[in-house]
Amino acid sequence: MKICILGFGAVGKGVAKVFSMKKNEVNEKYGIDLKITAVTDTSGAAISNEGLDPDLLLRVKEDTGGVSNYPEHGVSGISNMEVLDKADYNCLVEVTPTDIEDGEPAKSHILKAFNDKKDVVTSNKGPLALSFKVLADSAKDNAVQFKFEASVGGAMPIINFAHETLSGNEINSIQGILNGTTNYILSRMAKEGSSYEQILKESQELGIAETNPAQDVEGLDAACKVVILANSLMNMDVNLNDVEITGISKITPEAISLAQKEGYLIKLIGEISEDTLEVAPRLVKEGSPFAVEGTLNVATLKTDLAEDVTVVGKGAGSIETASAILSDIISIYKAK
Amino acid sequence: MRLNLVLELLDIPGQLTDALEPIGRLGANIVTIIHQRDVKTERGTVPVQITIEGDNETLDKVINALENQNIQIMEIDGVLRKETIRTILIGDIVDKDLKDALKQFNDVDGIKVVDLNLKMSDNPEKSASKFIIEAEQGKRRHVMKKIKNIGTSKGFMVINEV
Repeated sequence: MKICILGFGAVGKGVAKVFSMKKNEVNEKYGIDLKITAVTDTSGAAISNEGLDPDLLLRVKEDTGGVSNYPEHGVSGISNMEVLDKADYNCLVEVTPTDIEDGEPAKSHILKAFNDKKDVVTSNKGPLALSFKVLADSAKDNAVQFKFEASVGGAMPIINFAHETLSGNEINSIQGILNGTTNYILSRMAKEGSSYEQILKESQELGIAETNPAQDVEGLDAACKVVILANSLMNMDVNLNDVEITGISKITPEAISLAQKEGYLIKLIGEISEDTLEVAPRLVKEGSPFAVEGTLNVATLKTDLAEDVTVVGKGAGSIETASAILSDIISIYKAK
Repeated sequence: MRLNLVLELLDIPGQLTDALEPIGRLGANIVTIIHQRDVKTERGTVPVQITIEGDNETLDKVINALENQNIQIMEIDGVLRKETIRTILIGDIVDKDLKDALKQFNDVDGIKVVDLNLKMSDNPEKSASKFIIEAEQGKRRHVMKKIKNIGTSKGFMVINEV
């Protein structure tokens, strides 16, 4: 199976690491020969139809800052679209930076791959949250597969889980903690009684929160995931503007302490149900499935047959996200 | 037939006698009563479990009579009649007029604020107030939406239960 990876940031590098770790195992277990035939970043690309060495890719990136310095096969200054024309691949792994204004350039990459009759795996929330229907329709028209497990909840299984394991069930609502950074901040505020500002600063120093944390703390990231789940699991046709969003930046230690007095915690919860599409801080009972700490994500799906089913998993991290991408790649192969 | 009730009585003398009076008067029999004054609800009231016996018509009359006497019935045959909803509002309680928010909550049909807790901050905007609200069974989502609308319109940040 020939893979083209667009974007070589945390997730792209995670995919290379996971390929290096699991290549033999995947070959033995599923008979898949995983081959990276192209990788791009802002410097350009490395392209080889015989396959690139994932360890060497990581080393070149680490040492020189760009994959275009890959020996023999490096090409500098080439655009992602050109690479899609030039590379020999069956499956695109789209992991360029997320843009939640227009979903570009990821959206164009994905559509081009579909039109070229290639399968696509992505963790990119932007295009999914803004143009889900366009993408899903195009994949269908071109009779190719489109998988995006990694876009929601990192390693927490939810999309394929709902589609496959819960097949036959109707999903009536989903509620969950869909952003690890905010959960980390709220968990620490509850434990230490410190202010939001102080914990945010420490989280930034630890690399858990980004330098510009707005997307996480204002609830936008979680809202993107709400849209993806609504469209892909509950047959809705909604976008980011349909979600009512409240972030956590105004949560105070006073509010947390009042909640704790009665055995409750405050968590940022995404909710998708017939009449609600919302991200907002909510009260959850200590000891309930939603009382998870750290960067964990959790979601409860209310279904007609299986009733409530709850999934938990690491919501972020390079290897964790790459694990979801690998499982998508394997399931595409198995469906062939 | 038999009916199991859980009544909620104020912890003051005479309450239990008042609650039992219509049962005997209307011709129903009392099978058991469990009354432990030391076990209290979060509102400080005393729950009393009563099993009564009689025909359907008599039992209906007893329920009506208890309700007319403003005696709170928490459960009938294990089914809760009321549920408790918690909400926290963040914001300046003076500036944004918490008193008016409280009044508006109580004006919503079928709900009653039964407890209010405050936690003040040096910065009044950061103060928090916790409401415990009792609502008729099955109205939870509807009530939470109403509360959110009222709180938000007063400028508070509303944190509802999940």
